[in-house]
This record gives sequence, C-alpha cells and structure tokens, in this order.
Amino acid sequence: MSTTDTRTLRVYRFKRGDGAEHFDEFEVPVGPRMSILDALRWIQLHRDPSLALRHSCLHASCGTCGVQVDGREELACVSAVRDHGETITVEPLANLPILTDLVVDVGEFFARFPEHPIIRASEADGYVRLEDCIECGLCLSACPVAATSRHYVGPAALVAAQRLLEEPRGADREDVLAWADRPEAAWGCHLGFECARACPAEAIPAERIMALRRELAR
Amino acid sequence: MSAAPGPVRHKGRGPAVSGWVAPRGRALGGRSFALHRITGIALVIYLYVHLGVLSMLLIGESAWGDFLSVVTAKGFLAFDVVLIFGLLFHALNGIRVALVGSGYLVRHQRALFWVATAIGTPLLVYAAIHVFGGA
Amino acid sequence: MRHDAHVLIVGGGGTGAALAHDLSLRGLGVTLVERGELTSGTTGRHHGLLHSGGRYAVNDRESAVECIEENRILRRICPGTFELNDGLFVAVEEEDLEYVDAFVDGCEACGIPAQRLTRDEALRLEPNLNPAIKLAVRVPDGTIDAMRLPLRFFATARRNGAVIRPYTEVRDLLVHDGLVSGAVLLDHVTGKEGEVRADIVVNATGPWSERVAAMAGVDVPIRPSPGVLLALRGRMCNMVLNRLHKSGDGDIIVPQRGLSVVGTSSWVVEDPDDLTVPEDHVERMYAEGSKLVPAVRSAERRAAWSAARPLIGSKGADTGRELSRTFKTFDHKETDGVEGFVTITGGKATTLRGMAELCADVICRKLDIDEPCRTRETVLLPHSAYYAAAAA
Repeated sequence: MSTTDTRTLRVYRFKRGDGAEHFDEFEVPVGPRMSILDALRWIQLHRDPSLALRHSCLHASCGTCGVQVDGREELACVSAVRDHGETITVEPLANLPILTDLVVDVGEFFARFPEHPIIRASEADGYVRLEDCIECGLCLSACPVAATSRHYVGPAALVAAQRLLEEPRGADREDVLAWADRPEAAWGCHLGFECARACPAEAIPAERIMALRRELAR
Repeated sequence: MSAAPGPVRHKGRGPAVSGWVAPRGRALGGRSFALHRITGIALVIYLYVHLGVLSMLLIGESAWGDFLSVVTAKGFLAFDVVLIFGLLFHALNGIRVALVGSGYLVRHQRALFWVATAIGTPLLVYAAIHVFGGA
Repeated sequence: MRHDAHVLIVGGGGTGAALAHDLSLRGLGVTLVERGELTSGTTGRHHGLLHSGGRYAVNDRESAVECIEENRILRRICPGTFELNDGLFVAVEEEDLEYVDAFVDGCEACGIPAQRLTRDEALRLEPNLNPAIKLAVRVPDGTIDAMRLPLRFFATARRNGAVIRPYTEVRDLLVHDGLVSGAVLLDHVTGKEGEVRADIVVNATGPWSERVAAMAGVDVPIRPSPGVLLALRGRMCNMVLNRLHKSGDGDIIVPQRGLSVVGTSSWVVEDPDDLTVPEDHVERMYAEGSKLVPAVRSAERRAAWSAARPLIGSKGADTGRELSRTFKTFDHKETDGVEGFVTITGGKATTLRGMAELCADVICRKLDIDEPCRTRETVLLPHSAYYAAAAA
C-alpha cells in the first residue's frame, strides 16, 4: 500500500478565549499502522501546535485519549485510521464539559464516583493486579441516559461502587449501598448497554450494574 | 483556568435527547433503548387516537358506516400493523429489559433481543395477514 | 513553613511531579507547566516496571542500588498503585547459566533480595513460561501504573499549594545578563500568551531537555533514545519475566491489567517528537518474548509504540544502551554561568522520587533555604484527588 495516502480529519475545536466551537479540517498523510492518535499528533507537530489533546501510555492502559471518532467512542491510541473512511470526524467525549478542543473536564467524571478514594489494586484473584477499569470515560460518553441527565452517575461510577462491595479495601459497605440506592445511581440505568459496547478494557459495566442492583434488592 | 463549565457534546443535533436516535455510533442495545421509548410514547398517543376514533361511534347508529370506512381504509390497516409492531416490540423487549434489569441473563442481552425478534416476527406476520386479509 | 521563593518547573512527567511534590512539602511556591496532558511525554509510555534493580546488578551497580531503594520507598508511599507479584530472571538457554552467579552476587552486593528457583519451582509459579527453561531467580520487581503513579505526586503537590498547569507550553525563557527569571507561556486552553516569573526555573523535560536548555542558551548532554514496546492482549504472567543475560532487546515481559507488555529495543534520534515504530523491532519483541513465554508468538497485538528515554552521555554513542542510566542535576550556574536555571534529567521511572530529592536539595542550596526532604515518609493522595479542588 502506498504511504502517500491521505485522509481528511475534521477535528472539533474550542478555545476559551474566543468561545466559538467549530471544526477544522486537516489533510493527514497516512501510513499502514497509523492510529487516530498518531494522526492527531501529526497535526499538532506539522499543522497546528495549538491543538490540545490528551494521551499518555499509547497502549489503552491509562484511559486518557478517549474521543468520539465518527460518533463512536474509541481510545485514539488503538483506533486504526485505516478502519475509517476518507473523512474522519474526531470530537471530544460526550456528556462531560469540555475544557478545550478534545480535552474534557476529567474532574467532572470523578466527581460522580462514590466518596471512597479510588484504589485500583485488587487482590481478589489471589495475586495483586490493577483492576480492569482505566477510567477512560467512554462508557459515560456512550450512555444514552447520561446524555439527557447530568445527574446520572454513569456506568464507571457504578462499576466502582460494585467493586467496593466485592472488595471493600477500607470502604464502608453501608455507605456504598446508600450511595448506590438512588434514582441517579443504580436505578438510573435503563439498560442501553452502550457502555459494555464502548468499554475498551472489556469490563462489562452493564453486568456490574446489574450485580449492584441485585445487592441492593437483597 | 476558567471556572465556568465548558460546552458539552452529545451525539445528536439540537436537544440532547436527539442523541438517542443518532445515525452513527449506536449498537443494538442503544437502538432497542431508543425504540422502546419511541414505542412507549407512541402507544400512549395511540391510546388517545383509539379513544378519539371510538368516540365517533358516540354519535349513534348513523356513524357506523363512517367509522367502518375509516377503519377499513388501507392506510388505517397499515397503521394497525405498525401499531401491532409497536405493541409486540414494547412487550417482548419489555420482558427482556425486566429480566436483564433484575440481573438475569445479563450476558445474553443481545441473544435475548434476537429471541424476542424470533417470537415477535411470526406473530407480526400472522397479524398482518389477518389485518389485511380480513378487510 | 512557607518560603517566599517561587520555582517554575517545566515538564509534567514523573520527574516534574515528584519535584513539585518535594518542593511544596519544603514550603516553596511551585508552578509546573506541561505542554500537553500530564505524563504525555516519556513517563506515560514507559514499560510499567517497578524496578528491583536486578537488570543493573552486574554492570551498573549505582543504578541498581538507586532502584531497590526507591522500589521500597514507593511501596510505602504509594500503596495501591502497583501490581506486586515479584519478578523472575529466567535462564532460557545454556549460555544464560553462565550469568547466574554473577547475577546473584551482584544482587546481594546491591541489597536486592534474590532467590534461586529450580525450573519446576519457576514453572509452578508461572505456568506459561517456556518449558525449556533451566532455572530462575526471584527478585522484588513489580508493575507500576505509569500514568497514575505520577498523578499521585501531582495530587499531593496540588493539595499542598503547587499550581499545576497542563496544556501550557513554554514558548521561551526570560533570560537577561546570564540570569533566567521566568518564562513566556502559551496557554492552549485559552490560546493566550502570558508570562510567569520565578526565582529558579527547572528543566524537567526528559528527552526534550536540550530544546528547553537552548532557550537559556545552554547545552545539556541528552540523547533521546527511543525503544519499541509491544502490548499483547492477555495476561500471560503475574510476575515480571526477565531474561537472565546481559541486556538485550525484548528481554522483559511486564503484566499490566489484562495485557502483557514486551520490551524493549534501543536506538538514538535527534527529535523526540517524531518517533517511528520500526516493524522489525516489533518483530524482535515477538521473537525474543516468545523465548520466555511461547504464547507471545500468537498473541494479538493491542498496540506497539515508541518511548524516548533521556540518556545522559556524550554525543558519540549510536545505540544508546551503553550510556549510564544514572540521573543528574545540572546547576547551570556552575556548568554554564547562567543563574536561575537547573536541569534534572536521566533516570528511570522507578527513581522519580530520588531524582526529585537530589534536585530539590540543589535548588534549596541555591536559594539558601534550609529544609529537609520529607518525601520518603509522606504517603501520597490517591490519583483521583488531583481533580478535586486544589488547596485554598
């Protein structure tokens, strides 16, 4: 395949200085294994250094590079350019306030979580491993309930609560149950299942939310 | 950094609820979620339409002919089939949602959708044949 | 106790994070600027290895001792951010056996606990290992969450008054008459330029160190030395698996959540922003990794990427591996006659706290501030606390 292929990336832009949301288009040369993140960083390096975006680990482990590509939640670092068409639209994740360009306000994401400090090391399997959830926010972006309700805590927060019930690590079980037993928490889920489809860590938020509801119903 | 919260993207154009029916970026779960709500609202609206149409009969015996010509018109029969689809979808998907929402067969939510489709489709076809056949 | 001094740290990787934390605990005012997301340079991309120091026990004892000390400290101050299942150095081929004694002796000399295991014992612990292995040595390796560990330093620093500004790029340094007094910043959130003044500016930009140092008119001997890493779907081991031999490509597999990360390789570049991912290096990861764990060969690629190490050394080296891995603080008043500017560079992800202590000592000396380091004992806030409201 020729490496002088190009694709057009339509990228969402927003700077707080001028306040106007718009899309910029860039022609990006595409190589065989290029990811959407590679393309965005190429734009930063060669066309527009003011493009703000999040990334860190480049291998779907840190959860920072979540975006919507053609309306679908993906981690930009493992989303192949070749899997998309001639024109690719890249927007920030949905349902969270935008800081700038493709960067959303991560504080708002964590604000929905139960009070207990988030500890991701688990000993549930007999050895120590970091939990599946990488806090990427793709589930919250995909959730149709979160789209119309700012108060719904969202799949990731409910998964975190259910994990605290499974493995408390210092959390108070009654506090977690009380937090979950609200219309904007466990009862806010209306089974859209978009969260499970979007999750790049292959956790199944929907399953954990149902497990949480079973706990509450006991 | 500015204290004011920034804009929020959603998947549709216009009000956020349009994201439920966005053309791209939704899978089976999201589509059935949206359709469940649409059929739910449609059934409620139908209830009023139904009462409205029936109220034609309050006028008396003379209204019977008018009533029959309305409800046996091809367009109305087609509407009946759509209505039956809505009823079947909402009922069968409702069972799926009730099961999964109580924690049963969560991993099989997609399979349940197709089972519901397999049950509903012959029922719909049967109903459509009789709706149009009996006219 | 609060001091009047203000330090501007350029670079939001692990080094900058640990330094912001150390200085704010000593009561100095700290502003940190990072042009992108925090840890979006080299730090976020690294292997994720919590080093026992074993890899350096034979050839680079200074590094090995640094590693095991910091390994112990990190376990104490950041509980919950690691996978702590130890690691194995595995003798796969006959010639690896020649290395065992030197390895175990080296570990003992550096204070690294090392336990010899028979082939059967090793396979019981890690059933996916190549059944042809000869023996293994167990050391206290672990897995670090590469982004969230520094984020805990940032969270604690922020709580203690440090101002952390990601998406803020340094356009130029304010230099006049051999004195660096601050920086010109471009805020990518608003698109607006501004200035910040500081008593000391710290260059903590890793492989970008030369670029920032040039803004002050000085040079630092940093070679960006990238290596390829390969993340495979599937958790093929719980312990870190290392090849028991002199350093080579693809000789380590680090488990991380549901992935196994194989690495790494090494070459030298001029521009740390434009890193390629050579497919022959990726192929080498598959080939070498499958000598340790045969299942690597057929495992699905999740991602392959490059990360640039900041290696200190002369400009002559080609492959980058023989350069020393110790870290260094350059006080540019001493090295170049430029006041108010310090570069900290080199090192490994595991030694971030130790690097920061060294640098903070230098900074406090320069500012005539007498404050001890408190980072060895201070337990860090959880990573999510970074996003909670900053200190009043």
